[in-house]
Amino acid sequence: MCRTGQQSDPHDAGGEKTSDAAFAALLEDSTEELYECAPCGYLSTLMDGTIAKINKTLLDWLGLEREAVVGRMRFTDLLTMGGKLYHETHFAPLLRMQGELGGVALEIRKADGVRMPVLVSSVVKHGATGEPLLIRTTFFDARDRRAYEEELLRARKAAEEAHRQAEADRARLQDALAVLQSSLLPDILPRIPGMETAAHYRTASPDRLGGDFYDVFPIDATRFAFFLGDVCGKGPQAAAVTSLTRYTLRAAALHDPDPVSALSTLNRAVHERYSGGDPRYCTAIFGTLEPDPGTGQVTVRLASGGHPPALVLRADGTADFLPTPGGLLIGILPNAPFAPATTTLGPGDTLLLYTDGLTEARTGEGRSALYGDEALRAFATDHAGRPPSAVMEALTGLLDGFGDGLDDDTALLALGVPAARPTTGTPT
Amino acid sequence: MCPGVPEWWVEPERLLGMEIERRNNVTVTGNPHGRTVVLAHGFGCDQNMWRLTVPALVEDYRVVLFDYVGSGRSDLSAFSEARYASLSGYAQDVVDVCEALDLRGAVFVGHSVSSMIGVLAAGMAPERIGALVMVAPSPRYIDDEGYRGGFTAEDIDELLDSLESNYLGWSAAMAPVIMGNAERPELGEELTNSFCATDPAMARVFARTTFLSDSREELKAVSVPTLVLDCTQDAIAPREVGAFVHQSIPGSTLLTLDATGHCPHMSAPEATNDAITGFLAGLR
Amino acid sequence: MSPLNLAVRDAPTGPVVEVKGELDYDTSADLRDLLAALPLKPGQRLVLDLARMEFCDSSGISTLIVARNHAQSAGADVALAAVPASTLRVLRVVGLDQIFPLHPDAESATGT
Repeated sequence: MCRTGQQSDPHDAGGEKTSDAAFAALLEDSTEELYECAPCGYLSTLMDGTIAKINKTLLDWLGLEREAVVGRMRFTDLLTMGGKLYHETHFAPLLRMQGELGGVALEIRKADGVRMPVLVSSVVKHGATGEPLLIRTTFFDARDRRAYEEELLRARKAAEEAHRQAEADRARLQDALAVLQSSLLPDILPRIPGMETAAHYRTASPDRLGGDFYDVFPIDATRFAFFLGDVCGKGPQAAAVTSLTRYTLRAAALHDPDPVSALSTLNRAVHERYSGGDPRYCTAIFGTLEPDPGTGQVTVRLASGGHPPALVLRADGTADFLPTPGGLLIGILPNAPFAPATTTLGPGDTLLLYTDGLTEARTGEGRSALYGDEALRAFATDHAGRPPSAVMEALTGLLDGFGDGLDDDTALLALGVPAARPTTGTPT
Repeated sequence: MCPGVPEWWVEPERLLGMEIERRNNVTVTGNPHGRTVVLAHGFGCDQNMWRLTVPALVEDYRVVLFDYVGSGRSDLSAFSEARYASLSGYAQDVVDVCEALDLRGAVFVGHSVSSMIGVLAAGMAPERIGALVMVAPSPRYIDDEGYRGGFTAEDIDELLDSLESNYLGWSAAMAPVIMGNAERPELGEELTNSFCATDPAMARVFARTTFLSDSREELKAVSVPTLVLDCTQDAIAPREVGAFVHQSIPGSTLLTLDATGHCPHMSAPEATNDAITGFLAGLR
Repeated sequence: MSPLNLAVRDAPTGPVVEVKGELDYDTSADLRDLLAALPLKPGQRLVLDLARMEFCDSSGISTLIVARNHAQSAGADVALAAVPASTLRVLRVVGLDQIFPLHPDAESATGT
């Protein structure tokens, strides 16, 4: 029933008085009653912790008589040993510094030895001149809450542990992948007398296992072999084919370095291994380099199995594809045709091999157009006559420029004859 | 500025010092011409606990304050469980700070476990520390045969539980959930106290290192002037312990402050400050 | 990106699979699944009508080879109809133009 500002009926006025009294009686609360029987513990202590006043609720929780507590015990006497340490090292300094402190989880020790979790808040009462007079403290029963918190804490620890484990697993997997990845590519290219080499590799796959590959290695005292290719597909399955391809080509080249012969051996190995329900193929260019120390020229013999044609950048500033038409994708047929080609590199000439990650990079508005062979040839023309390292640097910049348009692995290998021949044969 | 030297130029050695100053949140204040007094906080808090001590020193002394790595506003990323699993790891922090500021013969004032850390640091770098003030020290908290530290191993486990329950990092993250007030995060934030807040995992390491330590032997090696301050009523370092420290350090002075609790510099600042300044005045 | 859309119809020579949209790493499995379930009789011709194929990457090319293997194991034949210019270029690079009979459109591939 609410009082309004309006003049009310005398009958009603009497009734109102009666219900007010009933309401007050219902409340029954004196301040003293409220203090003693509040649903929380109250404690007032001197600044040294001596208990000056304590309410009945807290006494009941503790199982102690008032006479045994007031003037005889200190706040810390109510706490467990761990609580005492926490009080001295955290609670008391904080209270001194802040003048108040809330929601600290402590445990009180009851007379029967049982511990009871409580949440404690304290505030320092100051005198008129600002000097601290006493500390008022409330205790809330935190038994249920503590159980709940422990549950949360357990869950959090379990989650943290699972996260740690997942991180460790991920790191281990990453290490294993790095080792596998490094087995698919040469760490460094061998030094070839009278030639310069440069390579670049980047993978679009997040596990860093790519399907592109390349290698350069000696086959005898004077000749070197090289290859570069692309396994159809991505990820670990592609990497397995890459591994088979790399080591088969290396072994085949030592047995018979003729390019068509090496690719035929590889073709048989891949076809035999992957002719089942999950066929796998690759494209590759394999070739040999035969430097002629007398002329400084290098004879290149190569063959392609379904791979985009190599580019030859000439010292005179031109660049052209070295056609290898008719070479079939490796691994499709038990006996596949491969297309051989030959060229000679003179001083300032560079042979460039690449995978279709480069020519099929998506460019332009909406990433709808492909970079394309002609654009690559034009780009190569611009850099013809420059040493392999410079050509590679330019191509790396080109790849960077594609940004997210580069959605496939890309491998690049440049093999060139320096424009200015060293005056001595000593490698520097 | 010097011609040819850019304004931001810092000597490499100085850079290393600055790195330590940042790592340990070093504060230098007071009289630059006075003797240097290093104030080192104990377990559970940070340099803020000296705020009632600093005013008594600044006129005559150069005052250096810092936080141990893992406490206060130190660089928590510099924490290593292995290093701080022993008090000598903390003592290395003291030596690092002394070297960064190139202190010589400084007076080291340590509270509680820091007193013992100071003893170790003085042993590690004798030229850096010229005198010790040990406020409520204890070389061993757990009772031993013929020695009363005041605690059992179970008590220490209880403290670790208390730390866990007041996992401040935890409450910062969980309080809004518990209070159901995620849309009013400031309500939850009040649960995390601004001072003495520290990473719970690091506090746990500090607690273990502190309360499981035993530095009684090291006390005998102290050779610098030493003042031992204990309190009439200290739940952590009872008077027997203060007496033990005093008896173990040759030539030390023991002064019992009429104070309750483990932090006399906060609960009885005047008496504590008088004791410290009196001791400092008596040093050559 | 246009998704891959596949439709099968029967011609007198055998099934004609119409490939519409992009045949790439993400979609080529659909075509593989369809081919695996496609009944082929000895002597029939499997025609892949690529007139409306918008894109074909190396996974797509692989799937064309899967189609060829599937036809061969059934004693059937395979042919590609209306290969888009860009794909034809790729087929030439990888030498597959020698392997697949190529027809300008589905009608000529099915002899209708």
